[in-house]
Amino acid sequence: MKIVVAYKWAPNPQDADVAADGSVDLGRAKWAVSEYDPVALELARQLADATGGEVIGLTVGAAGIDTPLARKAALSRGLDRLVLVADDALDGADGTRVAAVLAAAVRGIGDVDVVLAGDSSVDVAAGQVALTLAGTLGWLGLAAVSAVRVADAGTAGLVVERELPAGTAVVSVPTPVVLAATADAVVPRVAGMKDILAAAKKPVEVLSLAELSVAEPGAVLTTLATAKPGGAERTARIFDGSDAAAAATELVGALRQSGAL
Amino acid sequence: MNAAQSWIVVADDAAATGLVEVARTLGTEVVAVVAGRRAVAEAVAGVVDRVLWLGEPGTAPVEAFAPDVARLVAEAAPRAVVGATTPGGRALLGAVGAALRSPVLAGVERVELAGDDVVVTRSVLGGISQHRTAVAGGPAVLAVDAGAAVAVSDTAAAVEEVAATPLPAQVVEVRPTTVAGVDLGAARVVVGVGRGLKAREDVALISGLAGALGGEVACSRPLAEGVDWLPKDRYIGISGQRVSPELYVAVGISGQLQHMVGVREAKVIVAVNSDKAAPVFAQCDYGIVGDLYQVVPALTAALGGTA
Amino acid sequence: MDFGLTDEQQLLLESLDELLERECPESYIADLDLHHQPPTSFRKAMHEAGFMSLGFPEEYGGTPVDAITLVLLAARTARQGLNNGYGLELLQAMDIIEFGSDEQKAEVLGLLSSGDVPFALGFTEPGAGSDNSAMTTSAVHHDGLVTFNGTKTLITNALQSKYLLLMAKDPAVEDPRKAISMYLVPMDAPGVTTNRLDKIVWHISDSCEIFLDDVTLPESCLVGVKGNGFKQLMRNFEMERLVIASQCLGLAECAFEDAASYAAQRVQFGRPIGEFQLIQQKLTDMAIKVENMRNFVFRTAWMLDQHVPLKSQGALCKRYCAMAAFEVADEAMQIFGGVGVTVGTRVSRLWRDIRGHRFGGGTDEIMVHIAGRQIVKDHS
Repeated sequence: MKIVVAYKWAPNPQDADVAADGSVDLGRAKWAVSEYDPVALELARQLADATGGEVIGLTVGAAGIDTPLARKAALSRGLDRLVLVADDALDGADGTRVAAVLAAAVRGIGDVDVVLAGDSSVDVAAGQVALTLAGTLGWLGLAAVSAVRVADAGTAGLVVERELPAGTAVVSVPTPVVLAATADAVVPRVAGMKDILAAAKKPVEVLSLAELSVAEPGAVLTTLATAKPGGAERTARIFDGSDAAAAATELVGALRQSGAL
Repeated sequence: MNAAQSWIVVADDAAATGLVEVARTLGTEVVAVVAGRRAVAEAVAGVVDRVLWLGEPGTAPVEAFAPDVARLVAEAAPRAVVGATTPGGRALLGAVGAALRSPVLAGVERVELAGDDVVVTRSVLGGISQHRTAVAGGPAVLAVDAGAAVAVSDTAAAVEEVAATPLPAQVVEVRPTTVAGVDLGAARVVVGVGRGLKAREDVALISGLAGALGGEVACSRPLAEGVDWLPKDRYIGISGQRVSPELYVAVGISGQLQHMVGVREAKVIVAVNSDKAAPVFAQCDYGIVGDLYQVVPALTAALGGTA
Repeated sequence: MDFGLTDEQQLLLESLDELLERECPESYIADLDLHHQPPTSFRKAMHEAGFMSLGFPEEYGGTPVDAITLVLLAARTARQGLNNGYGLELLQAMDIIEFGSDEQKAEVLGLLSSGDVPFALGFTEPGAGSDNSAMTTSAVHHDGLVTFNGTKTLITNALQSKYLLLMAKDPAVEDPRKAISMYLVPMDAPGVTTNRLDKIVWHISDSCEIFLDDVTLPESCLVGVKGNGFKQLMRNFEMERLVIASQCLGLAECAFEDAASYAAQRVQFGRPIGEFQLIQQKLTDMAIKVENMRNFVFRTAWMLDQHVPLKSQGALCKRYCAMAAFEVADEAMQIFGGVGVTVGTRVSRLWRDIRGHRFGGGTDEIMVHIAGRQIVKDHS
């Protein structure tokens, strides 16, 4: 079984500085394999180990995503090899374009049975790219996958479990398929020194964006304005808490009066 | 492009008021394409102008209809396509976005028309910034909160059945959820606590206040991931939960943006903090400047609870 | 001079961060401290992630790494607030890899590689600490056997360990330097009894008196060469001092971070106390000490990696870091005020645990004894 894990090398906006005009400075943000992607990597490794398959990491982005550290960070987490597209033309690319490049790379890898992805990226956090990738490939795409295993002997494909509002749905799916995992589907193993040292020796293939046939965008986005969200419209009424009981009584009174209680 | 039309894509869930509201703003005619049971299509028919239904799904998951949905939408080329942020909704929107080569915009807060262009105000990067974005040259594809369920109405549009060829996949079993995890999203009142709390035992103090308010206890990131005083499913913030309760009480929380994006939709925000310069006081409706160890028991008592 | 980390070090630290977040949160450490329990589940997780065999030679299933990497990991684990959580395993392995028989290697490395504590070091006696010539525990060889008698005290982790790495003296040998040998004695051998000592520091590491009453074992329990015990033990003292110094560094960083955060939040007289210059001076001097410790520890590790003779560098480093770390913890406690001594405030535990490092592994004063001699010798 040939498994691709589509992951993202991304900055963590937890450490972003947001200016009053809403412009975001990610200078202090730490780049890493995106928060939930190790879950997908672990699911892929377990599935491959159960079937004797291969796990291929796939990531796309601006040129800066291809550093020795970024390569090793991914390869030390259970990948057999890595394929990447790193081109500044993809800097700030929207999810549909990212999905189109991923799809072209998946076709380039060839004979892929499963694409696994994390729940959502740590930065954009929309949980959309994996499903758009499925749409681009024309494959079935399922999100909220909490478990995946090979179907019982005699039946083809996979059996996946999904955590949906109605409960846990067990779905029998044919391959090829795109699966996006829940954030806590499995506890990913941490990379040990042996894994990190071995990562430096694993094959890495860099695909050229120009050579992948990726269609031009059908719609163009223009950012008209940015703003720092929220807060501004709330007018705080502040009580002095040096007399805690009095302040508490005043606050509860105000909340009751406004209908909040 | 058919600028008069906007479409909604419905993934087997009658919760669609949010979709319809956005679609109505962007087109004079709203067309729904429904992947799912007939009952859902009939309910949706009461609130839109036209319904295309892809037939009974049987055991097929709604995602299996994504290529059919994408084909219908692409043929119609409407000005906007609106779907839900649910797993099924995102799968349908993904196929639509791929077919139209148009980005799927999430975090949508407001939509408007500027000439023929759709202008979307949306939160980006997990909510730490807000962008006003114009979509030109192709349909706008929007993922929005589904909203409330629509009920079957007497003046419904006809449901037109369209032949579909779903991808082969079968739901073989659905096991109802049994885990009793906390559902912060459903809580009417949430009391969030942050680093102002000095010891794990003192979480009881916060639980006391939450109890008196009939609400749930939540926390900022350091308490769930740094010191581990509260489970991760109670962590509110940029990579945690987003809540929109009637009342949010921030106790000992400084008010960093990364936390506050998770409570921005709260109707009323109350802050308790000993530092009068804490940013939280600029983002709340009511605040008490004082020691939480004095103020929280006093509040609990004032509400008639036991401190 | 390159102060940066290699990719491998950075990734390894990220892995350690993940493990610490998952397996060693403050609530876990506080609970161990309260109930005087060892960090068994954390050790197991560290073992499963391959951290416990770092630094071992490959033929024993390990992954060789340099001293700088080990020191980074030891300091990071300590910065979590966990005392003696990582770093000492390597010393135990090296003692045996270098001097042990094949059977002893298999046994000790096997225990290490399954995440267990193989042995406690049985060195200190009621009447003999750093003055090893005063050691009285006897080892009498006879008929292919050896019989031990004596009392050891303040033996760390004795209750968690399967063996005692016993230092004992042949009463028939006059020269104290040639009288001491090293033995691997099972803790459950007949005649071995223990008495746990209650103490006010290092609650997660037990400390015991150990009584050896006619304990008789086959001579194969000898480690290395008879009469070379002290020399063998000395081989790892420099590394041990460096590991202790890195513990002190990490614990001090933890105390400093807690104090700085508290100073920024605690409001008195209408503003955070961190805005008062008296508090700022404390924080500034603490930061300088932490930075000095960091430089001292990493340079000493670098010297080990470059095979620069350490001479008394380890003793200088250990003395400085133990003392400076305690000064940092003490000032951290001062910044917290009365809150700082309450049980459950992390800084109180750090203060206690760092205090133990001013004598564990050799007192501040013995470090002067070691380094002072060397300095004078170098200038004679």
